[in-house]
Amino acid sequence: MLNYQEIVKILPQRYPFLMIDRVLELEPGKKVVAVKNVSYNEEFFSGHFPGQPIMPGVLIIEAMAQASIILFYNAKDAAKKNLSYYIGSVKVRFLHPVMPGDQLKITIEPIKVISGAAIVKAQASVGEKEVAGGEISFVAKEA
Amino acid sequence: MQDIENDIRSLVAEIIEKDPAQIKPDARFVEDLGVDSMMALEILAGIEKKYKIAIPEEKLAEFKTLDSIVAIAREYLSKNA
Repeated sequence: MLNYQEIVKILPQRYPFLMIDRVLELEPGKKVVAVKNVSYNEEFFSGHFPGQPIMPGVLIIEAMAQASIILFYNAKDAAKKNLSYYIGSVKVRFLHPVMPGDQLKITIEPIKVISGAAIVKAQASVGEKEVAGGEISFVAKEA
Repeated sequence: MQDIENDIRSLVAEIIEKDPAQIKPDARFVEDLGVDSMMALEILAGIEKKYKIAIPEEKLAEFKTLDSIVAIAREYLSKNA
């Protein structure tokens, strides 16, 4: 398990764009299960949508992408390099809306991981219900 | 064996979003078809999944034409057989 202090050592993102609060499971190169707690206080809820708060799908993708970085980081011994991550393609289907109070649980498993890039299977759920799922690919380049 | 070429052509066409007819056996991926490194990796992963084979990442550099990919796929299929 990783707490926020360990997460910020891996992820380059910061407030208000750090979308992972905790890592529950970490099998280097094989599986990551991470959590994003969704609070009514999230800034985006004030506009998305007024009176009807729904987490934007692109931010669910962002949370999946950040969890993918954690998988990649541990699979490829990226700690020694100063890497920048660029998303390549996204194929994600959204199944249910995510609302204030939900705990988004993200599971990432590799489809193909190489030195400078990866394709992963991403799945997000709230409780027992799958809310989004698909594939994400990204590259990691030395800055 | 012709089937492998057609199957891989369809797989490539879907990933790079082109008409399969445009993907001539010797069309150059980067110059003629606009394939980038991420697409190449997706093609590699797609072939691995389809034929249940493992292709090492070093082979990505040889993903230059449909012909070259089909040759690589055949090479690793015969290794597995």
